Amino acid sequence: MRTQDKFRIIFSFLLCLCNLVPSAQNKKDSVTGITPAITFSYLNSNDTIILTANIFDKKETGVFAIKNAVIEFSASGDNETRNLGQAKADEEGNAIIKLPVASGLPQDKDGKTTYFAKFSGKGKYQPAMGTFSAKFARITVNFSKEDSLSFILVTATQIDHKGVVNPIQKEKVVVYVPRLFNLLKIGEIDLDMAGTGKVEYPGRLVGDSLGNIMVIARIEENDTYGNVQGQSSISWGIPKQYYLAEKPTRELWTPIAPIWMIVTLIIMLTGVWAHYIYAVIQLVKIKQISKRKPE
Amino acid sequence: MENKDTKEKLLREFAPQLEKTSSVTLVWILFLLGVIGWGVYAFVAQVTKGHIVTGMRDNVVWGIYIVNFIFFMGMSYSGAIISGTLQLFRTEWRKPIIRMAEYLAIISLLIGPGYILLCIGRLDRLYYLALFGRIQSPITWDVIAISTDIFGCLIFLYLSILRDIASLRDFSELKIPAWRKKVYSVLALGYTGTPEQEKRLRRATDIMATMVIAIAIIVYSVLAWIFSVTLQPGWHSTIFGPYFVIAAVYSGTGVLIIAMWVFRKVYRLDQYITRKHFVAMGVLMVVLAALFGYFTFSDYLTKWYGSEKNDESLIRILFTEYYWPFIFSNYIGVLIPLLVVGIPKLRTITNITLSALVVIVALWFNRYLIVIPTLESPYLPIQDSRPEWTNYSGTWVEFALMAAGVALFCLLFTLASKFVPVMNVSEMSEGPKAEPSELFKAEESLL
Amino acid sequence: MEDKNDNKKSSRRQFLKKGLIAGAGVVAGGSLLSAYVDKSKPTSGEKVKVLTTEGDLVEVDKSQIHSPRVSIEESHKGIPGRKFVMVIDLAKCKNARKCVESCQKGHHLPSSQEFMKVYFLQDSEKSAPYWFPKPCFHCDNPLCVSVCPVGATYKRSDGIVLIDNERCIGCKFCMTGCPYSTRVFAWKNYPEYAGDKEPYSPEASSPGKEGTVSKCDFCPDLVRIGKLPYCAQNCPMGVIYFGDIDEDTVTNGSETFRFSDLIRDRSGYRYLEVLGTRPSVYYLPPVERQFPVERGFNDLEESVKNRFKNTPYGKTHKL
Repeated sequence: MRTQDKFRIIFSFLLCLCNLVPSAQNKKDSVTGITPAITFSYLNSNDTIILTANIFDKKETGVFAIKNAVIEFSASGDNETRNLGQAKADEEGNAIIKLPVASGLPQDKDGKTTYFAKFSGKGKYQPAMGTFSAKFARITVNFSKEDSLSFILVTATQIDHKGVVNPIQKEKVVVYVPRLFNLLKIGEIDLDMAGTGKVEYPGRLVGDSLGNIMVIARIEENDTYGNVQGQSSISWGIPKQYYLAEKPTRELWTPIAPIWMIVTLIIMLTGVWAHYIYAVIQLVKIKQISKRKPE
Repeated sequence: MENKDTKEKLLREFAPQLEKTSSVTLVWILFLLGVIGWGVYAFVAQVTKGHIVTGMRDNVVWGIYIVNFIFFMGMSYSGAIISGTLQLFRTEWRKPIIRMAEYLAIISLLIGPGYILLCIGRLDRLYYLALFGRIQSPITWDVIAISTDIFGCLIFLYLSILRDIASLRDFSELKIPAWRKKVYSVLALGYTGTPEQEKRLRRATDIMATMVIAIAIIVYSVLAWIFSVTLQPGWHSTIFGPYFVIAAVYSGTGVLIIAMWVFRKVYRLDQYITRKHFVAMGVLMVVLAALFGYFTFSDYLTKWYGSEKNDESLIRILFTEYYWPFIFSNYIGVLIPLLVVGIPKLRTITNITLSALVVIVALWFNRYLIVIPTLESPYLPIQDSRPEWTNYSGTWVEFALMAAGVALFCLLFTLASKFVPVMNVSEMSEGPKAEPSELFKAEESLL
Repeated sequence: MEDKNDNKKSSRRQFLKKGLIAGAGVVAGGSLLSAYVDKSKPTSGEKVKVLTTEGDLVEVDKSQIHSPRVSIEESHKGIPGRKFVMVIDLAKCKNARKCVESCQKGHHLPSSQEFMKVYFLQDSEKSAPYWFPKPCFHCDNPLCVSVCPVGATYKRSDGIVLIDNERCIGCKFCMTGCPYSTRVFAWKNYPEYAGDKEPYSPEASSPGKEGTVSKCDFCPDLVRIGKLPYCAQNCPMGVIYFGDIDEDTVTNGSETFRFSDLIRDRSGYRYLEVLGTRPSVYYLPPVERQFPVERGFNDLEESVKNRFKNTPYGKTHKL
């Protein structure tokens, strides 16, 4: 690479730093050591903030997760920077921490909190950092029945640094139901001015064995709020059948055979072997006769 | 009632076979052992290197081993049916040959399942068939059926040779080692020919003869069902049960004729096994040829006319890749016996024996054409670039083991003929035509 | 500057998406995950933080949540309350063969054994050819199970048909019983089998054993820890959807649909329905294909390309 290009890159990185909404960065040190990259993800679920930092080393041959790297998380606002704790990256390079936010988080004057994930470097790995910022928001899910229709009601609010609760207006909320591997989308809501919205519950959904089903509402990939999630459960689901037959049915492919097969087999075998036994008895009798009449 | 003179004369005739082994026979036995040794070597290769040494692959999973299995089992059931039927009908001309039919039944019955064992991937787990057998599986039916059949044929054979063993025990002129005499007397069960013993023996023999016929038909149908209950095009045919039975008996008559010819030549039995016997067996062969041709034609006509896609691709394979085996087994194999026995001029012993040879080879190919082309034309086309995975061709291991099986068959037959006379001496010395001179008058009554 | 902002926005969006997906996996799989923390297994001392459905962060010993290899007896019982189904979208398949390769890698198979096969089919002379990935169909009327003489292969309550290679005697009757040519045989002791050091389980179909039959198993060992089978995970086009038919949901990892909606809207069908085997794999016909079928021949190894030489398409286009 030419020196000009190098400077261009470094300059644009510096520009990133100045930006009010920074995204994840990596410092390239092309001289010594390996510089890992950190991608940062954020999920705000039911008043708990889940921060996931994925630390990896991107080589030409592929992306390799850096296991056991210690990542320190911190949040900062206008006035303070609070250390949130640390976590170790797992096999896939994910270091996750969960923060209950009863205590409130540092916010700047816009109500945004900026989060940092720092890797302080170890051995051949250079330090790296990722950042993210979002406003704290909350989604609540409720249910109602009108006439014969069932509805899911969603309310989204945002609490600013003064503690004032404001509705989140005109954002899109997607409603899901958790299934075996993934979430199944069952509806979409556009929030009104009051920060609420509703969507019809589609029905015909299997819940757990008691019929409880969890409904999740999310604001996804929002510039201001990040990912926000709220969930609640209701007993509108079809109860799941855990069928464990005491005795399996009798089919061609089951462990026990159809009755007619067993009966036919027994009849045929008895018939045949009865004749064999008769013939053998005749032979035995022949021997007995010879013994009876000594020659 | 037995004619004692005839019996003595017959026993004297057969004594040399039982007493000593000629040098020719010794060479023959050594040759057979050599072939069997080669087969054992092939078997060791298969066990150590895995089944990859055979020609079987993921599509054609059943090859020459299963063809031989069907073939030998067919011969066995044929022997059983022929000997059972002839026994029940008490015809005169059957007497010299019925013992060979019984030997055929039991010997091929012992060799046939051996080929299945060669095809099984995990021989160390063979006993699972008994321990964990599932009734719904046609292979379990086959295991039960074959075991029942082995017992039945053994009992039937024993009943048949009992009187001859008793005669041998009593025949003082027989120059054999003492241990053999002991064996004969133990096996004879003290049979002395009293009316009551005879009655019981006859009753048992008749019952077993009926059973053996019934079992042979059922068992071979079970084997046919192993193929026809699957969904494979070419196998999923309703006619397979009766078709296999007919083809089996047909092949058995061929082997029986050859056995007759061999023993006639080797033991110089020209007096007893005459042209009339060959013609009688030849007629049986022709009847079965006609039936076999009829079933085959019916099967393929139905497949070809309906021209379902998979039947069509199967028939195409048969008429392109397998053209000559197909013509040979289904046309030539039916026409030659018809011509040879049908035209009086051609009805000689040599010709009939040659046509029997043709029949045997034709039927082996018929079995091959039933098993392998179907597996080469499954529902989902075989899309593979490796030739041995697309088409089947037997390897030296499979041919060596096939030769070993045939050699074992001949060996057991030879040894059996040295243990008990290869003709039913006791039967031949009784009946209205038991005078030595009368035995040959039987000729005029036939054909 | 505008561009950079957009770039940043899109990369921000990507990170947010990752957060969602990670969160989703944890939320949905959490309940299964906690069910499969096998406390009986020896601890390795290494801890891993794992989230459950309730959002609790728990520390679990690493060795206790690895892909579990259940015992043979346990493998006869299906995962309770589930009935698995697969949907394969033929409109998106371009014969990348990542499904074939990842399955072979995951099950420690040699390259000559394929549990998932990709065929190049053409239904009739004038109809257009298409790429056809075919796993085991796990039929509801499985002929292979009916004909097994020793009960080595069995169908579970969750619909999966498995093979117990400790019981299999290698008679290969099941291979002739399957009309879809699904099963493969271990003709020798392939060296790849030795690459799997863990105990044998029918759910993993690994390590393979010489002289026995094996086939696609719908990866129940992966499903137990909330992961999709290898083929579904690795398809670059998201062709393979997997899920629970009772829950009426299938997913290919990124997209999740209601199974009944997918089948209704895209006219899903089962292959060779007329045979009466009642397969558990549905196909979505190649309507509005995303690629021309020739794409499938790009970057193909010679040996794989040669497979299609004798097809009608191969003959006319002189492959």
